[in-house]
Amino acid sequence: MAALEAGAGLGAPPEAGALAARRGSGRLALAAFARSRQARIGAGVIAGIAAFCFLGPFFYHTNQVTVELGSGTLPPGGGHPLGTDASGYDVLGRLMLGGQSSLELGFGVSLATTVVGTLYGAIAGLAGGFVDAVMMRVVDTFLAIPSLVLLLILVNLFTPNLWIIIALLTMLSWLATSRLVRGEVLSLRTREFVQAARMMGGRRSRIMFRHMVPNAIGVIVVNATFTIADAILTYSALSFLGLGLPPPHADWGTMLSNGLNYLFDGYWWLVYPPAIILIITVVAFNLIGDAIRDSLDVRLQRP
Amino acid sequence: MTWYLIRRAGQALAVVIGVLILTFIMIHMVPGTAARSVLGLRATASRIAIFNATYGLDQPLWRQFGSYLDQVLHGDLGTSYILQQPVSSLIAQRLPRDALLLGLSTALALLIGLPLGIYQAVRRNGVGDYLLSGVSFTLYSMPSFFFGIMLVAVFSVQLHILPPEAPQATSVGGMLADPRALVLPVLTLALINVATYSRYMRSSAIDTLAQDYLRVVRAKGLPERLVLFRHVLRNSVLPIVTIVGLTLPQVVAGAVVTEEVFNYPGMGLLFYQASTSHDFPILLGCTLIVGVAAVAGNLAADVAYGMLDPRIRHGGA
Amino acid sequence: MRFTRGPAATAATAAAVTLTLAVAACSGSGPAIGNGGGAAPKGQMERGGTVTMAWTGASPNFIFPLAPVTNTDGYNVNLVNPMWPVLVYGGDGGQSTVNPAESLYSSMTWTSNDKTVTINLKPWNWSDGTPITSRDFTFVYNMLKADVPNWNYYVPGLFPADVAGVSTPTAHTVVLNLTRSYNPAFYTEDVLSYVPLLPQHAWDKTSMTGKVGNYDETAAGARAVYAFLQKEGSDMATFTTNPLWKVVDGPWTLNSFQSNGDYSYLPNTHYSGPDKPIVSKWVNTTFTTDTAELDTLRAGGSIDVGTLPLNDIQQAGVLKSEGYSIAAEPFPGVAEIIPNLYNAQAGPLLRQLYVRQALEDLIDRPQIVSKVYHGYADPGNGPVPVQAFTQWASPLEKSGGPYPYSPSAAIGLLKSHGWKVVPGGTSTCQRPGTAASDCGAGVAGGEPLSFQLTYASGKASVDEQEAAIQSSEEQAGVRIALKSEPFNTLTGTAGTCTASSHPASTCGWQLVDFGYDPYQLYPSGTGFFNTGGYNNQGGYSSAMMDSLINATEYGSSASAFYRYEDYAAEQLPWLWLPLESDIFVYKSSLQGFTPLNPISGGLNPEVWYFTK
Repeated sequence: MAALEAGAGLGAPPEAGALAARRGSGRLALAAFARSRQARIGAGVIAGIAAFCFLGPFFYHTNQVTVELGSGTLPPGGGHPLGTDASGYDVLGRLMLGGQSSLELGFGVSLATTVVGTLYGAIAGLAGGFVDAVMMRVVDTFLAIPSLVLLLILVNLFTPNLWIIIALLTMLSWLATSRLVRGEVLSLRTREFVQAARMMGGRRSRIMFRHMVPNAIGVIVVNATFTIADAILTYSALSFLGLGLPPPHADWGTMLSNGLNYLFDGYWWLVYPPAIILIITVVAFNLIGDAIRDSLDVRLQRP
Repeated sequence: MTWYLIRRAGQALAVVIGVLILTFIMIHMVPGTAARSVLGLRATASRIAIFNATYGLDQPLWRQFGSYLDQVLHGDLGTSYILQQPVSSLIAQRLPRDALLLGLSTALALLIGLPLGIYQAVRRNGVGDYLLSGVSFTLYSMPSFFFGIMLVAVFSVQLHILPPEAPQATSVGGMLADPRALVLPVLTLALINVATYSRYMRSSAIDTLAQDYLRVVRAKGLPERLVLFRHVLRNSVLPIVTIVGLTLPQVVAGAVVTEEVFNYPGMGLLFYQASTSHDFPILLGCTLIVGVAAVAGNLAADVAYGMLDPRIRHGGA
Repeated sequence: MRFTRGPAATAATAAAVTLTLAVAACSGSGPAIGNGGGAAPKGQMERGGTVTMAWTGASPNFIFPLAPVTNTDGYNVNLVNPMWPVLVYGGDGGQSTVNPAESLYSSMTWTSNDKTVTINLKPWNWSDGTPITSRDFTFVYNMLKADVPNWNYYVPGLFPADVAGVSTPTAHTVVLNLTRSYNPAFYTEDVLSYVPLLPQHAWDKTSMTGKVGNYDETAAGARAVYAFLQKEGSDMATFTTNPLWKVVDGPWTLNSFQSNGDYSYLPNTHYSGPDKPIVSKWVNTTFTTDTAELDTLRAGGSIDVGTLPLNDIQQAGVLKSEGYSIAAEPFPGVAEIIPNLYNAQAGPLLRQLYVRQALEDLIDRPQIVSKVYHGYADPGNGPVPVQAFTQWASPLEKSGGPYPYSPSAAIGLLKSHGWKVVPGGTSTCQRPGTAASDCGAGVAGGEPLSFQLTYASGKASVDEQEAAIQSSEEQAGVRIALKSEPFNTLTGTAGTCTASSHPASTCGWQLVDFGYDPYQLYPSGTGFFNTGGYNNQGGYSSAMMDSLINATEYGSSASAFYRYEDYAAEQLPWLWLPLESDIFVYKSSLQGFTPLNPISGGLNPEVWYFTK
């Protein structure tokens, strides 16, 4: 996605066949995941961060609602291990709260993208012919509209909240997923087992859900993982441009872009904590996606 | 091949027209009016009427679209409401800036990313591979505004060795004459995107390295460096071509965040500012250009792919 | 800078005022930066040199001083004013008074019960040597009169619509016969302060190749000339080459111009005024953001004068070590939250004065001033800023305004009007009805006290301010949902709503904070609070307010202004907010920068010079 900046992004392999053909990729992905140290590290980091964000607040109580200008920008120490921000919110507590919405955003976008993109791509790939051509031209059309237009229009149309932002980012990222899945389906269609199922009179929907989707799942999982990382990054860029969610909503991207206003003022605790946790999280998701992608490549299995 | 090209061109045209129609509908869906947005707090009824009459916004929507298409066919993209300049001349000012910035940074990212990918493929799962993966992933995972501002903080504000803004000259020649000012913005975009290329190159090169013919080549006693350069690089570079083709529309759309950080008004900022102020002519003009670039990039990538890879034949299917 | 803030531009003030300048230079909690009123020049004056000024987001695009209403780029004023100043020059040193030495007129005499004004022009010259005459005034008047609604600064009913006749008894005398009596101070400071003089002898033509004539003397001819000049004035490629724009009467002539907002001036060597430029070149350069500008300042770039965003006030120390000085200046304007009295949901609530009072009571303005704005802000006690307009601020405003921060007062007000107050929760109406102790007309039983506040995005200090307001309003159970949008998006969606017209499409907003509204020299309420005023988005309408405003503009009673001001402060057509000051950074070797001219926003490079 990387919607607002140049670069194709890690998760945007373009057309059919960019990822080498593979077989039974669903189970394989799982096995590879368990085997790959890189993936295990990534998963461990994410589990740790999720625990910090979602369980942390049960042990570390802070008030993230009431603005206390009187205790703004306090340096770390005392009752605030990471200090306070300009509105007087405890930074450590806010990292937890912000992490919740950043992670929710990432997973939400990824889930919605995967569902929409997979269905669309699978239908196009299975239908083939004219339907496929029309469906893919629609995707091309949307892809050719600068993502910023879509984002700004929708931000303006709706009062933004986390769900709207998730829907918006999904609108941008399902396109690539659908292309990817279509490519996968096209290449699977020619495989023997699918042709066999078809010859035995299997219905299309059955073929799709029993044979195609499980076999394409590897690619889908890889893409979903990258999508989480990209969604978190894209949203942080939106916050930087002033299109994020207003206070008291918190997320890492907004914390970071606000904190950067104070970079030269010596308030390092408003910059580096959100930056580090955001980067670590995004790296972790990318590591997982990269590891699965690598291991899906069958030839890699026999070095 | 010719028939294929014609068909693709036809589809491309359909996509561009679709883009225009969709954008036109969407920008008119945005709540609020251009007149209020442009005229600001002092938008009285009489001023709004003057504004709408001046820009034809008092016409029905379908007629506005018709006259817009007519204008475009005559090579006129209209005049910006806010900047009060012809959209075509605005694009002519801004586009070369982004072409330079993104061209240089993409080239640099490829220069770093491709050898890196091959190195990591050869040394895969070694310490060097892990280390380089870690570095390139970390760079890729940085919000570009954060990375850019950090570079400025270190190299401009602390060390005073590089200017904090991109070149301010209005011509490409003038910008190139100020190479020090290009360093930080180009570096920001290039380093963040190294991983994009190095990861693909790494997978692709691992594929190639496993091919049987390489054993033959090696058996013939070709030096390893030549093996890598002549055979591995050339055969692994295919997926990269597609990816570079896909970045073409982004070159045209600009890099709004980097432009903002480095005070480098290009297409990204032009578009961003227009989209927050109902500046319809700029929005339509930019969308049109980006749409054309997207379609052209796709087409170019496909064609290049076909020419580079003899296995792909664009037949009737 | 003052001008960067909006289209309202230079103006001037007449009333003799003694403005206390140095802003609490070292009083305990007060700001430590003054406007430099007491700074004595030091070092030896050096003639020549280039002064570089930094702007943010500036992109002037129109050079003809009378821009059409479709062109709302406020930066055009910055570009144009140094070449074609207005008749009444505002700001004398650090005083917000008319500057008699720099103004183009030598005297203004009001007669016939203040219905006639006689303006005597100084015997100054255009840059081509031709004298500036009364004909240059009638040239401007004829063009404006021919196409009244197409002038950016036209206020319905005022100049030029209110002129019954113009006569020019001598080459340097203009007599304006007006359709009604005016308060001379108001008319000079808030009306004539917008009118420039333009070179009739060079510009009175309808094509580049055509000859100069007296085309403007017929309405059709004036329209043709006006249209021709507006067309030429929009061609950025020829700003520096078009012979029209070479004829100026200000201290500067345009030297270079780039469409990206960078431009420079050279001194007008034939300038007749007293302050002839000392530096030999004045360069203006523009930045996309404050941050980009600050980075360049911090990196020791070539900027001589720039602004400092309030967020970065702590940078002052570092910048001083880089060879810069800092000066702060209160801004002449008003900051507010506009309540939409005719929003379908919130309108009936906001039409209740007690609700607006409770909302204002719950805004801790002093704390916002000290914490969010680090002391560099006007407290916002009412419609007139007490710092920038000491002379116009009433005793009530100076004493803190009618609604000092008081959550208990807010809770009391709500309780006495039948609300169940739930601090930290949502208060609800318990006694619907129209009696004095009921919630009021249109408010249903059980209705929650909740609003949406939309504000302009992009400034960390504003985010903080709105979050603080949201949080402090909760003390009386007032729920505020925040929504931020880019400024232009905001003006596009938050339209004017009135009792007679409140369509759903442009009246969906409930509370809006656009930022602030700038004043001219005379902080009149016209346009803001009068019925149907151009800036009266919330639809406030009161016969009492209208007559009080009229009294300040048409009559000359000294107490009329305070009566209007206190009434507005109490009635809360808007909720008053603190208004941040401008903070300037300038090279310490640059002299003459202080005292800052409060009216031109410190933009007086003709008096600046470097020291050796």
